Amino acid sequence: MTGTSVIAGMMKNNSNIDRAPCLSSASHLARPKVIARRLSPLFGLFLLLFLFTAVTTASAESVLLQHAIVHTVSGETLPHGSVLIQSGKIVGVFDETQPTRITYPADATLVDLQGQHLYPGIIALNSALGLGEIDAVRATQDTTEVGDYRPDVQSWIAVNPDSELIPVTRANGITHAEPAPQGGVVGGLSALIALDGWTTEQMTIKHPVALHLYWPSMELNTTPKEKFKDESKYKSLEDQAKERKAKFKALDDFFLEARAYARARTAGNSDINPPWEAMLPVARGQIPIMVHAHDVREIKAAVKWAQTNDYKIILAGGRDAWQVADLLAARQIPVIYESTWTLPQHDHEAYDVHFRAPELLRKAGVKVVFGNGSGSFDAAMAKNLPYAAAQAVAFGLPESEALKGLTLYPAQLLGVADRLGSIEPGKEATFFVADGDILDLRVNVKRMWIAGHEVSLESRHTRLYEKYKNRPRPK
Amino acid sequence: MPRCPLHNEPELITKPTQFNRGFLLGIFALLLLVCPCLLPAAPAELLPSGFRPVPPGVHALVGATVVVKPGEVLDSATILIRDGYIEKVGKNLTPPPDARVWDMKGLTIYAGFIDPYLTLGAKSKSAPAKKQLDLTAGVKFLGVNPQERDAGTEGPGYEVARITPERRAAQTFSPDAKSLAQLRELGFTAANVTPEKGIIRGTSALVALSDVEPNRAIIKPDVFQHIAFDLENRKEDVYPESLMGVVAVVRQSFFDAQHYILDQADFHKRPFGRARPEFNPGLEALIPATEKKMTVVFEPRDALLVDRATRMAHELNLDYFMVSSGQEWRRPDLAKAAAVPFIVPLNFPVLPKMPQPDDWQQVTLDQLRAWDWAPENPAVLRKQGLEIAVTTYGLTDKKDFRKNLRLAVDRGLAENDALAALTTVPARLCGAENMLGTIEFGKQANLTVVEGKGYFDPEAKVQSVWIDGRFYRIPSDEEKESKEEKVAKVEEKKEAVAKPVTPEEGDPNRVKPEEKGKVTTTAKEEKSKEDKKQAEKEQKLAKMKVLQQRVAHSPLEGRGVLASPPGVLIRNATVWTCGPTGRLENANLLIISNKIAAVWQEKDASKTSPRIPAGSLEMDGTGLNITPGLIDCHSHSMILGDVNESTLTSTAMVRIGDVVNSETPNIYDQLAGGLTVANLLHGSANPIGGQNCVVKLRDGETPQGLKFIEAPQGIKFALGENVKQSNWGDKIVTRFPQTRMGVQTFFANRFIAARQYLKTWADFKKSGGPPPRRDLELEAIGEILDGTRLIHCHSYRQDEILMLIRLMEQFNVKIGTFQHVLEGYKVADEIAQHGAGGSTFADWWAYKFEVYDAIPQNGSLMRDRGVLVSFNSDSDDLARRLYLEAAKAVKYGGTPEEEALKFVTLNPAKQLHIDHRVGSLEPGKDADFAIWSKSPLDFQTVCQQTWIDGKKYFDLSLAPARTAALARERDDLLAKAKKLNALSNGDGGSDSSSDDNSFFNLSLEHQYDGHIRHCRDDEE
Repeated sequence: MTGTSVIAGMMKNNSNIDRAPCLSSASHLARPKVIARRLSPLFGLFLLLFLFTAVTTASAESVLLQHAIVHTVSGETLPHGSVLIQSGKIVGVFDETQPTRITYPADATLVDLQGQHLYPGIIALNSALGLGEIDAVRATQDTTEVGDYRPDVQSWIAVNPDSELIPVTRANGITHAEPAPQGGVVGGLSALIALDGWTTEQMTIKHPVALHLYWPSMELNTTPKEKFKDESKYKSLEDQAKERKAKFKALDDFFLEARAYARARTAGNSDINPPWEAMLPVARGQIPIMVHAHDVREIKAAVKWAQTNDYKIILAGGRDAWQVADLLAARQIPVIYESTWTLPQHDHEAYDVHFRAPELLRKAGVKVVFGNGSGSFDAAMAKNLPYAAAQAVAFGLPESEALKGLTLYPAQLLGVADRLGSIEPGKEATFFVADGDILDLRVNVKRMWIAGHEVSLESRHTRLYEKYKNRPRPK
Repeated sequence: MPRCPLHNEPELITKPTQFNRGFLLGIFALLLLVCPCLLPAAPAELLPSGFRPVPPGVHALVGATVVVKPGEVLDSATILIRDGYIEKVGKNLTPPPDARVWDMKGLTIYAGFIDPYLTLGAKSKSAPAKKQLDLTAGVKFLGVNPQERDAGTEGPGYEVARITPERRAAQTFSPDAKSLAQLRELGFTAANVTPEKGIIRGTSALVALSDVEPNRAIIKPDVFQHIAFDLENRKEDVYPESLMGVVAVVRQSFFDAQHYILDQADFHKRPFGRARPEFNPGLEALIPATEKKMTVVFEPRDALLVDRATRMAHELNLDYFMVSSGQEWRRPDLAKAAAVPFIVPLNFPVLPKMPQPDDWQQVTLDQLRAWDWAPENPAVLRKQGLEIAVTTYGLTDKKDFRKNLRLAVDRGLAENDALAALTTVPARLCGAENMLGTIEFGKQANLTVVEGKGYFDPEAKVQSVWIDGRFYRIPSDEEKESKEEKVAKVEEKKEAVAKPVTPEEGDPNRVKPEEKGKVTTTAKEEKSKEDKKQAEKEQKLAKMKVLQQRVAHSPLEGRGVLASPPGVLIRNATVWTCGPTGRLENANLLIISNKIAAVWQEKDASKTSPRIPAGSLEMDGTGLNITPGLIDCHSHSMILGDVNESTLTSTAMVRIGDVVNSETPNIYDQLAGGLTVANLLHGSANPIGGQNCVVKLRDGETPQGLKFIEAPQGIKFALGENVKQSNWGDKIVTRFPQTRMGVQTFFANRFIAARQYLKTWADFKKSGGPPPRRDLELEAIGEILDGTRLIHCHSYRQDEILMLIRLMEQFNVKIGTFQHVLEGYKVADEIAQHGAGGSTFADWWAYKFEVYDAIPQNGSLMRDRGVLVSFNSDSDDLARRLYLEAAKAVKYGGTPEEEALKFVTLNPAKQLHIDHRVGSLEPGKDADFAIWSKSPLDFQTVCQQTWIDGKKYFDLSLAPARTAALARERDDLLAKAKKLNALSNGDGGSDSSSDDNSFFNLSLEHQYDGHIRHCRDDEE
């Protein structure tokens, strides 16, 4: 990283990123705007005082964030860093301690971050954010369709931009989420959305990003026959094993059929079949298959299946993944690990088995991304995603890896690492400021930018807090 | 074997009598003198013409090995039977001239076996659905007539349908001949037939297993009253649905019976001027047990419930004994403490065949342990000094009985004990020791005759049994007969002549003449068959050998106290006292015995180092943080069975304390998060839930040993969506209340009822009159009114919080805590003014409509307004991480760190009124503390050690070895299982039926392992 950035030529086309509304908060407006021309850090203080009341007509396209601990994630952390953004993009990342000059446009807005931490936005994969609001209220649930094979179900069109869950989640550093269609075997397609925007279209930054495959359960129901309410529902272990096999066969066939359809389409067959059409990017290897599986048998089966057919898969859930860490590493299958807080599921396992699993996976060479679950209640608690990673750090995972598992790795998994996931020139100006280590549960997010727009950290929570904090005390 | 050519029965050997008649007469005369009571012998009943005549009743069984009683064996002895009783036993006896003489050489004769716990199977599996009745006996809580979901009890009876003490096995005994024959085949001659459904089930009857009319078969009616903690036949929505409900119902029933006695007596004394007492056949039938005139048999169905049954029996002053659940190996100490005989079923789990090798991963260590321990359980019970009787009860296939008994013997049960378990013990338990159990003069002629090496060789056939002096031939097993014998038998059949007819005529296994060709196969075929048999035999032996060796460890191993030094001194640590001295850097903590002796800073010159007991443990605490043991004010861990008794609107009578689960691995998981105390609460399915139980996480202790005895009693209340069943589906809409209006109405109703209840008792104590009924529901609510029971109320919305405050103030009741209280921040002033505590989540919200306004600043805001605040888990997982939940108060509400830590230490202690004992590190308090690698609020902190009462229960450095030991044990068990399966040739297990998944039965203690239980779920 050099101390000087080249502004010209760094602009990448970001026309597919719609401008989000500038959600100015009262505190935001109260902050003095400091504009400087060819400002050198050495003279910063002087000029800052001098220009304190200066009025400018220049555009606010450029912003220089100064005096931050910059967690670039992709590279080193800069204890004294500056980040220059322009038109929603990062154009320069500077180490303030280096003697190299920092150049920036004359009309750049200067923001003093006063030694606080700057992190790239956290990305929550495999989430119900936007699809489910209140777990117990059915009317608010758009997470789960019916039917086992429906690849043409698309999650992003049903996201509620005004979900109260979104600002709450955002306020803890999460800038993007992948709403995932739930249930069935082939559940549908997902997209990546920014947690900011007036409409679903504005929020959706890439679609589709993955196909969701819920691996049929391989767990045998061992309930004794006499314990069945309806004994006719009882099936012997052998029968269940047969059924299990048949279910696998059905899903295997489905993907082979999808490939056949893709070939037919390439060959010019024009009969459109929507489910098969939806499978095209999968059949053509353009998007990964997110395989949801927790049980080691399911994980092994999925890995074998992917290898046999050369499918690109991501493992989501992954409770038992640590048991086959080497296998996953050898096949280069990343894991969205969602079980940090899961109790030991086998009575011979260590109490901290799931606290330690991410480190076991990493050590074997598996890329670990953190998830906190895809249920509606999980969506309400998505704000705690950094703490799932934090727990893994307490039990051995290097902190830098935990951070990557929240930012860069998820971006890579969904093929958006060219614009998200780290603080690097050329990427979107999507990051947030925290008054401490973001993994620390005592720390607060203070400011946030998504694609260069500063977004509000207000939420239903803060509004109610402010309201009732100010309830007059009894006399 | 010599055969009498005149006799058509190949196995009945009669010898012509050759004794001197005069000698016999002399003996007879002597007998007359010695025991005139046995005379005159009744002449055999003469049946009407056409009936098969009753055979003569005098028999001499000559030449057998007679096991008179366990440990007393007579070789080649004679037994004389006369008209159903044993006239004489001894060596060198001369059979009387009127006796039919049976050559019993080579046979072993035991006193007839007794099954003390025989259920004969319900005739029809499910009773037809009851139509809605207008007038029923029953609990009136489940909806307004005619919408109630509990159809009630038809006709007079106890108000809970599954309490049927009035049922008598003696009245319904009408067995089918097949099941009797099956039992005789195992050597049984008598059985105590037990009613098999319900909670208090009715009385059993001791019967002879003979093919006679029921009147004659019954030896003794109403032997025991039977109680089972039975959850299997419960009905949805009908009280009681939960285990704790079942226990509560039993308790109430006996109190009702006690009251019934007094009330009836009072009425008889002065039938004028008072209301007529009710007639209740159920209570009427409970009177003998209540007055200790009848023994109660408990079937606890679980190792821990043995303790519950024992305590209940003492509480209710009952004579009792137990039916083993087969699980006592888990906690032999509890069985020992029961100090009563156990009736032991021998239904051992059968090893399953898993479809794929990988499928073994879903088999738990506990299941493997249960399988491996099962055959040893009878010996385990004996080792506790307990008497046992064995039963065929619980066996899917009763034919497994002998094989399993042998296995139990191989696994440490002495043969004499096993024999006693079949004879003398059940005879005495059933109060029939003067009739049955030994082969002695005057007893009923019930005998079990076994070939070969005797009963404990499963290959040795039971040749016959005698019941009340009548001979019952056991159907012969063709497979085991040699070809020669078979041919001989066929020959015999051919030359059939007139002979004495005996009841054994209808033997289905007898080879018919036309089958002769089938029997006489070629020698070659026979040879290969023999080889196969031999191979099978060897395999069986090899299997036996593997089965004989226990691999499993006791689940108590590696658990419990890790260190118990006389004192502990930790130097130079950061000590978060949570007391007035705050957080002390470079401080020392001294524990003496189970109490905190001192906390001081080295630099504090005013404090000299106190005296440290010899043998104390000294630790360098540099870099470490020490906090009080964490306290979870809202937990559903460590509860056996359901968390909710969700049927009735008020279940104030059910007690979590009845169902504390000391065996869940969750205790250890939570200790590893620094937790030392948990407030175990009933769920929130009804406005007035059950009574809570505060426990210390003393892993390895008994359920009683976990209890924080000094903690005041409390009760769970609940408001809002759960109690008005908002999320229970559209069909469940009839239980009152269905609105928040009704919730208030309901509470007012119960409190007024309780006030009247207290007044009734006060009046009675002052001025007498008809004795009031003890009502455990109103008694508990009455204790709230008396101020001796704390309310812990699940609540969300501000209006309902305010409602309860105002309503309770009308009754002069101060609420202990509001639980969850997610809108507490909206009415914090009112809560503070009332003086209730607020035990909330750090940051849960939006899981249902009433928590849409929940905010993570709630705790801090309430605290700022003067409410005593704690953070709780309400989750088996979150309870492991309460220290980090506390950190969230710093984040969202700006609560100072030391105050935030109090949210999970001192404040919950205060809320539970146990702060004089725990919650802070102050001299004189219990030595409950946790040691951390960093600040407890730092995400990188890891709990190093957890101590309770000065004893170490968790140590991070020992955790890996513990896990390794468990993994190793599981591997060993799996190896054993696989070896056995290999020996079964993959044939599906010769000894397993494919439907028998008993192996997978989860014990109650481990039913919820790995599951998170909280009262957020509507059905929990």
